[in-house]
Amino acid sequence: MRGALAGEVRKLVTIRSLRGTLAASGVVTVAIAVFVGLTGSLQPDDTVLGGALTGVAVAQLLAGVLGALVMTSEHGSGTLAATVAAVPRRRVVLGAKAVVAAVTATAVGLVASGLALVVGTALIDGDHAPGEPFPALVGVALSLGAVALFGLALGTLVRHPGGAVAAVIGVVLLPQLLGPLFGDLQPWVMGLSPATALQKMTQSSDASADVAGTLGPWPSLLAVLGVALVLLALADRSLARRDL
Amino acid sequence: MIEIRGLTKRYGATTAVDDLTVTVAPGRVTGFLGPNGAGKSTTLRIVLGLVHPTAGTATVAGRPYAALDHPLRRVGALLDARAVHPGRTARHHLEALAVTNGISRARVEEVLGLVGLADRADDRAGGFSLGMGQRLGIAAALLGDPEVLVLDEPVNGLDTDGIRWVRTLVRGLAAEGRTVLVSSHLMAEVELTVDHLVVIGRGRLLADAPVADVVQRGAGERVRVASPAPDLPRLLERAGAVVTAEAGGTWRVDGTTAAAVGELAAAHGLVLHRLEPARSTLEEAYTAMTHDSVEHEAGR
Repeated sequence: MRGALAGEVRKLVTIRSLRGTLAASGVVTVAIAVFVGLTGSLQPDDTVLGGALTGVAVAQLLAGVLGALVMTSEHGSGTLAATVAAVPRRRVVLGAKAVVAAVTATAVGLVASGLALVVGTALIDGDHAPGEPFPALVGVALSLGAVALFGLALGTLVRHPGGAVAAVIGVVLLPQLLGPLFGDLQPWVMGLSPATALQKMTQSSDASADVAGTLGPWPSLLAVLGVALVLLALADRSLARRDL
Repeated sequence: MIEIRGLTKRYGATTAVDDLTVTVAPGRVTGFLGPNGAGKSTTLRIVLGLVHPTAGTATVAGRPYAALDHPLRRVGALLDARAVHPGRTARHHLEALAVTNGISRARVEEVLGLVGLADRADDRAGGFSLGMGQRLGIAAALLGDPEVLVLDEPVNGLDTDGIRWVRTLVRGLAAEGRTVLVSSHLMAEVELTVDHLVVIGRGRLLADAPVADVVQRGAGERVRVASPAPDLPRLLERAGAVVTAEAGGTWRVDGTTAAAVGELAAAHGLVLHRLEPARSTLEEAYTAMTHDSVEHEAGR
């Protein structure tokens, strides 16, 4: 496993698109905090924390893209055969990719949301309640890691980079877009969405109990992680059975 | 040593590999031949644990590939030279593979030098020519200094120097006692490079023999004749031979011997300018052997 992990780290840092996605995920978080602060566009009932972390919704999508690319970059270039020839236990390959994608997405998310909070606290005017940043920042970062796992699992199942990116964006965003169509079931549909878990974590006013369910931020995050693990289990099965 | 026992692979109604049993021995170069779609790539991919067989087994160095610890140190493979991420440099591609099997960076530099890519090691693989990609693929196969090498079309896209380099390399690896399995479409090249042949057609074994035997088996008797006597071809054909005019004014005569042609000419008082036994080529032997199993054959 250690060798497989080291290999996945080398692969991640030696491709520009993967490095770029990871960097963009961090930069966009801080940049949007600056934007929110400078425009004074925050709703009066929102917290500084929620306002400063507006950008993590985008960062979360990029974490999903990262996860998807970690696997589909191998499908696209045909290197998966070489990877599996080097590490024949495919579950180890998938596991190493999962660790690398989730850990890097979480780490970048933690640093970026911390910076965004510092920037937001400085720039957002003092009329807003501050919000409680700890341990919410950790939860925010973990939600990015969870979506990276969504991306990896969908990338493994779909195989095609474009298709996998579309799928991960759909899984993250569609529950919120389509939730209102489900009437009384809306809190259930939205409650399992990674984007909703993130909103709850940032204590945003968008995630009120009547639309997003009464599940607290941490149980919500756990539910999202559970969904990620189910998807990974499906991906593991698909990868194990496949002819390469 | 590669041991393939009763190997079968079906994709739906199509049988790609059909009860194939072959042992690839160390210390010699084994050529793996067959028409397109004969099941070569599928067989190699099963050997490397990439494709799941429907039935049968394949072992490398005594164990199924997937059960090998640090497999790159036991088996080196070149399957598809284009299978490199275009955005990654040659060095990074090899380093990412090496680190998974505990192979040192010094060895990465060594194989880069060995295949002649040291100067291009920091260039992205996307900009590589087919020949350079092939060299990178061979570098990856050599990375773990493995005792077994599986090379699918290693000279594909290489120029004359490159082909000669691969020939020397492959023969050297076998001379060191390694097991070397090489597939190719270039019969002239195979004839120069390999010691032993495994030929398959439609997934079944057609031949598993030394090259010389295969060539001879496919050959029959053949003679090359030059003569100013216009009657000679007619006389030879009446004697049961098949005469084909060749460029340069000679005749290729199949189904007879030099002695028989000489006696026939003497009996009729004909002058011969040239009379020599002609060796048939591997290509001819191979074509005869695989004639029935060519996938796209008309009328099938």
